[in-house]
Amino acid sequence: MGRATLLRDLKILQIYLPIAELSVNLFFLVGIGGAVGFLSGLFGVGGGFLLTPLLIFSGVPTAVAVASVTGQVVAASTSGALSHYRRGGIDLHLAMYLVLSGILGAFGGVAAFDLLRDAGQLDLIIALGFLVLLGFVGVLMLQESVRALLKRRQGVVVRERLPNQHSWIHGLPLRVRFKKSRLYISVLPVLIIGLFIGFVGSLLGIGGGFIMVPALVYLLRVPGNVVIGTSLAQVVAMMAATTILHAVQSQSVDILLAFCLMVGGVAGAQFGAAAGRHLRGEQLRGLLALLVLAVAIRFGLSLVLTPNDVFSMAVGSVTR
Amino acid sequence: MRRLALVLMALIGTALPAAAERLVSSVSTETVEITSSFDGERLTFFGAIAPDAGADQRFVEGPFHVVVVVLGPTQDRVARKKTNNFGVWLNTEQVEFKGFPSYFHVLSSAKLRDITDVNTLTTSYILPESHALSPNPAGWWQTLTFGQELIRLMSEQELFGVQEGGVRFLSESFYQAQLTLPSNAPPGPYIAQTYVFKNGEIIARKSDGFAVRKIGFERFLALSSTQSPFLYGLACVVLALFTGWLGGVLFRR
Repeated sequence: MGRATLLRDLKILQIYLPIAELSVNLFFLVGIGGAVGFLSGLFGVGGGFLLTPLLIFSGVPTAVAVASVTGQVVAASTSGALSHYRRGGIDLHLAMYLVLSGILGAFGGVAAFDLLRDAGQLDLIIALGFLVLLGFVGVLMLQESVRALLKRRQGVVVRERLPNQHSWIHGLPLRVRFKKSRLYISVLPVLIIGLFIGFVGSLLGIGGGFIMVPALVYLLRVPGNVVIGTSLAQVVAMMAATTILHAVQSQSVDILLAFCLMVGGVAGAQFGAAAGRHLRGEQLRGLLALLVLAVAIRFGLSLVLTPNDVFSMAVGSVTR
Repeated sequence: MRRLALVLMALIGTALPAAAERLVSSVSTETVEITSSFDGERLTFFGAIAPDAGADQRFVEGPFHVVVVVLGPTQDRVARKKTNNFGVWLNTEQVEFKGFPSYFHVLSSAKLRDITDVNTLTTSYILPESHALSPNPAGWWQTLTFGQELIRLMSEQELFGVQEGGVRFLSESFYQAQLTLPSNAPPGPYIAQTYVFKNGEIIARKSDGFAVRKIGFERFLALSSTQSPFLYGLACVVLALFTGWLGGVLFRR
């Protein structure tokens, strides 16, 4: 509340958000869009996992924040997906399986979102979701990048893990040939990954790129040259579908809010990508891991620390 | 003769209040328009206490007190309470308030308790707390505590408030009150109820309406998000794809 009042006191360029039904400073919106866009360009992730929490912490209703960031993620991933497409860095066949199962998952996610909002437990589940997901991914990434940095210091040549090692996942039935990825694997793990990311992404308002990329690399052994492009293509298609689902189901997509974030995000991402060329891969991954962990810890604390106010209110009825 | 006197007295008795005061009042703005730059709006409520039509009096005799109650559209609200369960703070208790005002501000010319007694204030719905007193399946104690917290939360967002001294008398019988509607004032029909008090009794009252409406582009967006949500979502996606594409073209990476 303190932050929201502070922003309202800065009377310059206030913009009224018609769905959130509150007035927010335009510089602030474009600013956080730009800052998160910079980071997303730097690390090659969508940035939803930073933007949604930032909006929630600055007073935007959780439901509006989640639904509107979904639209922003589409914009943030489009330019990347297009440039990968031009370079032939997308396995469209694999992306199609991921998108179809992702949309199915998104149906579940949006339905769960609605149920939880009415039950008053949306904030709790979102906090828990971010804590578990970001905490888990953050720790894994940090481990890996620290190991890589140490090895480099010791003078060992770092070799990226090769995608041709087989695991139990490759023994499952219903195999399909993905030509571009040079894979002949079961569709089951592909569909499960898509479903999971669709569900979690629509529930938490994140694109899920930071889960998708490791899943494709380590679980499916998709080669490096198509991983990022395929992940981006799946994020664009799935989040586009999720935006429409949120607009229809929860009616909490604020197009003006989303647009302000998009403008900041798209511009910021270009500068981030330029800055990223000056850093090494392991350093980038290490920094991203720290960032992810910081957000996870922030959510963890919000669950455990005594809240400033144990009472809260919402418009709506009690569902029984 | 005695009967006639009684009839006369009865007639005078019924005629007396009618021969008293009436209230002439108005609001400065009939429609508060929400545009993209909407950041709250200042409203002025003003009026005069005049002798009732047909009365013999030429002037009114005070001292008067004026209370203006501004009520926003009603909605259902839920107040929730977090409790600590095994170290984790969860929303565990909730009380629903049906038909609760989304906006409620009281402006008065003096301290409310000095104007009249609590009973009158409560039954006329002048005190904010009176809105949380309606019967509720949650039981009276829960209703009371959660209602008070709900009013506190809404006061923090400037949706509820009491401004004792917010009504100023410019002369013996002419008053004016100013109220700033916050930017988060919910759109809908509003009512300003004005009460005139004399010696702790309500002697006149009047309601004036005004509306808070989104207009132009904001109205169009809000309407389309509820009336044709699919197209609205589709527009959102097209906008996002276009912005993303344009960004890529402009910066050529």
